[in-house]
Amino acid sequence: MTEQSLGLLQLWMKTVVTERGSLGEKLESAAKRHGLLIEEVVAEKRGLSAHERISIYTSGYVARLLECMRADFPVLRRFAGDSVFDAFAKAYIVTEPPHSPSLFDLGADFPKFLEETKPKNSQAQAEIIALLDLPPEIARLERARTEAMRARGTENDPPAATSLSPFEIFSEDLKVQATPCLRLLELKFSLVDFFQETDQNQPSQPDRRLSFVAIGRADYCVHVKKIERWQFAFLKACEYPVSAHVAARRAAEQSGNEPSFVLAQLVVWLPVAIQFGFLRQVS
Amino acid sequence: MQNLQHQRLGLPNLGLGVGLRNQHFSHLMRHDPQVDWFEIISENFMDNFGFARHVLERVAAIRPIVMHGVSLSVGGADPLDWIYLKSLRTLADFVQPKWISDHLCWTGVANVNTHDLLPMPLTEESLLHVVDRVRQIQDFLQRPLILENPSTYLEFKESTITEWDFLSELAKETGCGLLLDVNNVYVSSYNHGFDAEHYVRSLPHSSIVQIHLAGPTDCGQYLVDTHDQPVPAAVWRLYKLAQELTGGVSTLLEWDANIPDFPDLVVELRKAEAALQGMIPDAPLHQSGAAQIVSNPVDFQLGSQT
Repeated sequence: MTEQSLGLLQLWMKTVVTERGSLGEKLESAAKRHGLLIEEVVAEKRGLSAHERISIYTSGYVARLLECMRADFPVLRRFAGDSVFDAFAKAYIVTEPPHSPSLFDLGADFPKFLEETKPKNSQAQAEIIALLDLPPEIARLERARTEAMRARGTENDPPAATSLSPFEIFSEDLKVQATPCLRLLELKFSLVDFFQETDQNQPSQPDRRLSFVAIGRADYCVHVKKIERWQFAFLKACEYPVSAHVAARRAAEQSGNEPSFVLAQLVVWLPVAIQFGFLRQVS
Repeated sequence: MQNLQHQRLGLPNLGLGVGLRNQHFSHLMRHDPQVDWFEIISENFMDNFGFARHVLERVAAIRPIVMHGVSLSVGGADPLDWIYLKSLRTLADFVQPKWISDHLCWTGVANVNTHDLLPMPLTEESLLHVVDRVRQIQDFLQRPLILENPSTYLEFKESTITEWDFLSELAKETGCGLLLDVNNVYVSSYNHGFDAEHYVRSLPHSSIVQIHLAGPTDCGQYLVDTHDQPVPAAVWRLYKLAQELTGGVSTLLEWDANIPDFPDLVVELRKAEAALQGMIPDAPLHQSGAAQIVSNPVDFQLGSQT
C-alpha cells in the first residue's frame, strides 16, 4: 500500500473529481496517475460505499459549475437550448477546469473555447458554417456585459467628469479617457437588437454583418449600444487620457472619414458617450 | 472580566444575522435590514466594483459585517495563494469586518480550484500543515482567522483524528476562532455515524465565535448540505445546546439556493429566539429523491445578477 501523504491524497481526489469520463474511468485514471485505489483511500460506513461517497463530490463538481455557466450566459443558453448549451458548458468545465478563486472568472475563456471547438466541416453548407460563428459571438457579448457590471465605473467620479455640454468639444483643452468598465467589441453579427429581443422572449435570427458595440455603465446601469466604426475608433483612441481632438483625428484616420466630420458628430455624441459611462473627462 | 475577554477571542456577540445575497439587494436598498448583522461571501465582492459593492457599502454603514470566504483552501497542499490573500486584505480594509472566516477544507490542488469544500484527511501531518498555514494567514491579516467545520460525505482511511479533536487542537495551537456550523455537524454525523451532541460538547467553547444554521436535504442514505430549506428540529436542538455551552455567540442563517424573499428569511431567522427559549421549531428534515442534489450551492455567487 502506497504511503498516503496529504499532497498525494489531494492529487488523487482532484483527479477523480475533475477528470472527464464515468466514475469508473475517473478512478482508473487516478489509480494510474497516483497509484491509489479507492478502496485504499475512502472509508466505508453506514452502508454507503466508497464509490457512492466519492460520487457526491464528482457529480456536484460539474453540476455546481454548470449552474454558474447557465447564469453567466443566459442569452446563449436560450439560443442554443438547454441540452446543447449544457453539453458545451460541461465540455468546457472538464477541458478547462477553473484556476481562479473567483467564480466570476469561470466563464472568461468560454467564448474562445466555443470558437476553437467549432466544427470545421468544409462539406457543410455555407449558411451552416456561418451559423456556427454565432455562439462564440453571443458568448463574447455576454461576457463583456458581465465584465462591465463588475468593473470600476464612474459612479464615484466628481460631476465634472461625467457631464459635458455639446459645444465643449470645441475646446482644445478637453481631455477624455475610456472608463475602466468600457468594453468594445467588433462582432460578425448584429447582436444588440438580438439581445434585446431575447430579453423580451422574441428572438429572431441576427443578421450576419460586421457590427461594433460599446458597453459601459453609469449609475450602476449597464448600457449595451450599437456604434459606428468612427465611434469605435474614437473610443479605442481614448484608452489613455487624450485630447478629444487628437482622438478625433485618429478616429477619422482609421474610419476613413474627414476629421471635420468626426468633430461635428462628436458635438452630439460625446455627451452621450459620457452619459453612458463609456468615457469620462480628465484634467 | 478576564474570562469574558477570553470568550470568543474578545469578539462581540453580534446577535442574529443573515448572508448578504444578490437576490435581496433591491429590498435592502429600500427597507430597514431587520437583522442585527450580515455575512458576505468574500469572493463575491473582491474586484467587484459594481452595484454589489454599492449595496455592501450602504449596508456596512448601518450594520456590522463579517467576511466569510470559500476559496482560502487552508488545508490545501499547494502553497498559500498570496494574491488571493492580498485581495482578501484589501477587501477587509474597505469593509472593516468584525472578523474573517473560512472553512477547514481544501478547494483544489495543482492550481485547480474545484469551488467545492473538500474534506481533509484528519492526520497529524494535516494538523501540522494547517497550523502552519493558519499562523501565516493570521500574521498576514493581522487578526485571528475563524474556521468553520464543513459538511463532509467521505472520510479518508488515513484519518486518525476526529474532526472535533482536530479543530480543538488547531484552535489551541494557533489561537484561531471557530465557526460552529451546527447544520454541518448534523449532516456529517449522519453521513459518518458519529454523535452530533458529543461533537458539539467536545469543542473548546471559548473559541467559538459564531454559529451557522441551515437546512439540509435527506437523500435517503445520506444528507447533503443544500442550504435551501428551513432549519430542521434536529439542527435547532444542536443550536440550543451550542448556545448554552458557549454562553451566547453570533448566529447566522445560511440560505443559498431557492432563496426566499427577505421578510421570509427574517421569519426563519427569528425562530432562533424561540429555540433558545426551548420552543424548538418542528420543521421536518427535507426529503428528496432527485438524482442531482448539489452540496455547497453557488446560486448566491452567480456573477450576472450583480
